[in-house]
Amino acid sequence: MTPTTVPADSAAWDALIEPDRVHGSLYTDPAIFDAEMERIWYRTWVYVGHESEVPQPNDYVVKSIGPQPIIMSRDKQGEIHLLLNRCTHRANLVCDAAKGNSSAFRCPYHGWTFSNTGKLLGYPFNSGYGGTEEKRNLGLGRVARVASYQGFVFGSFAEEGPTLEEHLGGATDAFDRLVELSPTGKLDISAGWLQHEAKANWKMLVENETDGYHPQFVHASIFSVAKSGIGDLYGEKSTAVSRDLGGGHTENDLRPEFRRIDEPMGWFGTTADRLPEYVEHLQAARGPERAREIMIDGAPHVMVYPNLFIAEIQLFVIQPLAVDRTVQHVTAIQYEGEPQLNRRMLQQTIGSVGPAGLLLADDTEMYERNQRGVHARTPEWLVLKRGTHRERRDGDGFTIGDATDEVPQRAIWRHYRELMEAGDGDGAVAPPAVPTANGSVR
Amino acid sequence: MSERRERSLPLGEAAAGDTPVELVSEFAAVSLVVDRDGNGPRLRIEDLKTGQVGFLDPLELETLAWLPEGALHRFLDPSFHRWREERERG
Ligand code: FES
Ligand SMILES: [Fe+2]
Repeated sequence: MTPTTVPADSAAWDALIEPDRVHGSLYTDPAIFDAEMERIWYRTWVYVGHESEVPQPNDYVVKSIGPQPIIMSRDKQGEIHLLLNRCTHRANLVCDAAKGNSSAFRCPYHGWTFSNTGKLLGYPFNSGYGGTEEKRNLGLGRVARVASYQGFVFGSFAEEGPTLEEHLGGATDAFDRLVELSPTGKLDISAGWLQHEAKANWKMLVENETDGYHPQFVHASIFSVAKSGIGDLYGEKSTAVSRDLGGGHTENDLRPEFRRIDEPMGWFGTTADRLPEYVEHLQAARGPERAREIMIDGAPHVMVYPNLFIAEIQLFVIQPLAVDRTVQHVTAIQYEGEPQLNRRMLQQTIGSVGPAGLLLADDTEMYERNQRGVHARTPEWLVLKRGTHRERRDGDGFTIGDATDEVPQRAIWRHYRELMEAGDGDGAVAPPAVPTANGSVR
Repeated sequence: MSERRERSLPLGEAAAGDTPVELVSEFAAVSLVVDRDGNGPRLRIEDLKTGQVGFLDPLELETLAWLPEGALHRFLDPSFHRWREERERG
């Protein structure tokens, strides 16, 4: 790919992003990557962690926003903070363990010590600094805004901009559906995280998460080994739909198929009688009728732009490190107080995305081959036309297509272009437009 | 380390039932055990990185349980006591 520079105006972006084609250099150009960090990752809301990962006062976990190292801490009062994991002395990483419990963090290099709210408490041999006045300005860096939705904690480096709920827009429904599957309404994200590194651009992962066209090819082997019916959900005859939720958020909505099959817990590849405790708890919490609907509809398959993929039984967090280097963090979703269901979720997660798992390895192979392929000199474009002729609106006003259509990929690029065209400006990005037909979208 | 206090009792000789507990984070590693050498019990804390030992009696521990948020901050300042120029030894 010929190197580009970051387009300065709309006309220049036209040369790289069309409604149904994108230029390959967007995956390979380091200048584009740097601009993406500033305009997308360090400005919009980005998913960081879950409240249940820091359940106790003074708990902390080490997280990230793209290449930025982040500490997510809960202070003694219970408030959650997102701090930059970078010592204000000479930039050492302050926390190294993946998680811990401490009211204060002591940098290993020269011993500067910070409270878990980021305040500098002191440093060794303070007379070397001629007094302690400057301490006030030497607290840990902070992510400007922190907010959570249904326990999912997001951060934004922009002081101002849309609220988290405005940013999530049509995607809030995915979180609501997910927690409704939990009898207590709460998730327990404590199974631990696997990390898979891919030598590929982060956008290939984002686009693939709601790509309903590839499963029958890339994942044919795991579907046949596991005698899984998932492949059929992504077939030409499937009634499932691909959906543009606005704001770059996209979905493969499998509910039409699950409703047609009408088998409670079928979405989870099992039957209700194998999970009696869970079924009983859910019925008690939601009533038998609603419980049945919930167990048929199952968990969402939604890519929350730019980095959180809710993949039915797993969460993926996408972390770009360089133009051709991305880490995928993955964990099994666990429901509070449901050991029977959780055990199965963990087993399925290990089978699909564990070290010897079959699903993610297949996808990662595709990401890395894609990254090599996109360097070819010609052709220069990637084609995203699939299903343009059959795009339509659903009852909520969202654009949808067939299960295998590239509605999500077009939606992702449309949103990407808006964010990138807004430039480096003052950080204010308009909230995504959310359709309001039927008034059913919050 | 001139400030280091002598252990009052080797850990292995602690009273039955008073098994030492190690608490380790990435910032500190301590061993805790109930010391019964005095006229009443107290908590013996050993800094496993240096061998430094300190004791806390029940009233001191109760006080800690009631500490308001931030009350330990001045003690967590490395210059408060442990790392001060005037305490530097050759
Ligand atoms: S770099 Fe952290 S104390 Fe020096
Ligand atoms: Fe896949």
